[in-house]
Amino acid sequence: MNKKASKAQKNRTFFLSFFKVKKNRDRLIHLGISILAVIIFILAWDLYAQLQNKPYLPRPHMVFDALIASFFNRDPFSQRYMGEHILASMVRILYGFIIAFILAVPLGLLMGWSKHVHNAGNPIVELIRPIPPIAWIPFAIVFFDEPFDTAFIVFLGIFFPVLINTIFGVKRIDPIIIDAAKTLGVTKRNMLQKVIFPAVIPTLMTGIRIGLGIGWMCIVAAEMVGVTGGGVGFYISAMADVGRYDDMFAGMIVIGILGFITVGGASYIERRVSRWMGMR
Amino acid sequence: MDGNALIKIEHLTKIFDSDDKSVSAISNLNLTIEEGEFITLLGPSGCGKTTILRLIAGLEIPSEGIIYERGEKVEGPGPNRGMVFQEFALFPWRTVIKNIEFGLEIQGMPKEKRREIAMHYIDLVNLEGFENAHPNELSGGMKQRVGIARALANEPDVLLMDEPFGSLDAQTRNIMQRELLGIWQKTNKTIVFVTHSVDEALYLSDRVVVLTSRPATIKKEISIDLLRPRDRAGKEFAKLRHEILGEVEEEVTKAIASERKKEES
Repeated sequence: MNKKASKAQKNRTFFLSFFKVKKNRDRLIHLGISILAVIIFILAWDLYAQLQNKPYLPRPHMVFDALIASFFNRDPFSQRYMGEHILASMVRILYGFIIAFILAVPLGLLMGWSKHVHNAGNPIVELIRPIPPIAWIPFAIVFFDEPFDTAFIVFLGIFFPVLINTIFGVKRIDPIIIDAAKTLGVTKRNMLQKVIFPAVIPTLMTGIRIGLGIGWMCIVAAEMVGVTGGGVGFYISAMADVGRYDDMFAGMIVIGILGFITVGGASYIERRVSRWMGMR
Repeated sequence: MDGNALIKIEHLTKIFDSDDKSVSAISNLNLTIEEGEFITLLGPSGCGKTTILRLIAGLEIPSEGIIYERGEKVEGPGPNRGMVFQEFALFPWRTVIKNIEFGLEIQGMPKEKRREIAMHYIDLVNLEGFENAHPNELSGGMKQRVGIARALANEPDVLLMDEPFGSLDAQTRNIMQRELLGIWQKTNKTIVFVTHSVDEALYLSDRVVVLTSRPATIKKEISIDLLRPRDRAGKEFAKLRHEILGEVEEEVTKAIASERKKEES
């Protein structure tokens, strides 16, 4: 049996290596195009900023200098390094994310699986969902203490995509798989754990990825309105208030990069998990 | 036939009710399935033969009538009636061996023991070397091997097979049919097989039950006494094929006529 398996393995690696060469070349071309586009974008920005020559539109190299400096100098308002601001924002996102995940996944599984739970939960969900998380900021500031005021805004941003994707994932399960599970002895009690939950994981990960993207938008908005303890959103609005636009843009770029890394990471994990689970 | 009745179907009727119409799928069907028998339900597409299988499995509830398994009324799905689906219905997130272990895992059997049983069935269906592959890495024929092994691992009294080879190519189908007979002989399982292929029914079964077009009821029961392995090109095989084909075609014609009537009205 082992002999057979290792032979099959060998054949597989042979074919894979053949495809890998082509795949790597394709990847390099894709990367090259992307980098070129970014360079053109920065050049266009620089040209436009020079033509405009306005203080609120700094040139790229000024923003770049400000960005580097922000990591090595404390800001004048809260005496923090950029690293500390990033950490503060990430902690808030993490709190919001964890709470959203803990609540949205079980609720989504139940709403997807049970018509009654869906009928009960759906009107409330659909009424709250269209309210922009930012609209909750005044309430959150009064109602919660730091860091849960901002984390609550992030929670709202992440909760709904995860919930909706989980419900969708459950509804998308092929009913024949449920039938098969029943004939194999699965009862109502372990259906959720043994069949529904694993089947839903890839769709759920999509929800997490979308949610994290929205989470970064929410955190900045929440921090800009009012926050103690720093944060990248706070940094942006404070710098704008005193007219240090190069620093403001530096903060914006930090958010962009952090969001890119988070969503990119989530998307990478999503693909890896789906492949590892044999589901894509 | 005077063996032990494993499954007894009495006055089975199934009507599907939807909002605007009700469809009668099965009408007053009576059938006894003997222990160890390989029985095939043969009928035109959409005649309700899959519904009969789903009713035996407990996945549907009869509108009227009763199904008994070993004298006990069937009231829902259970591991003593294993099912094999045309669409395979494997759990895509589970590897081959974990698909096969599934039923045992549900029962709470310890890992070592269920691994051992699963390996036995992997052997039986010729899947050695693919234990850790996921279903999406397998061909249709191999997927159905997993489906069969998964159902067998629970050691059910009966294997309900719903057009299990319907989505396979002709060559694979022939191989799978041959292997299924081998598995049946080794395990002494009772098999209830659903197909619309006369050839398949003839090659496999002890008894072929020809069903009428919807609503399904028994048109004719034919015992196949040919020795196995059967020669598909043989004279007797051809004679029986001719006979059964006649019965089935009659029903197909009826079904088409009634469809046409419905369209006209």
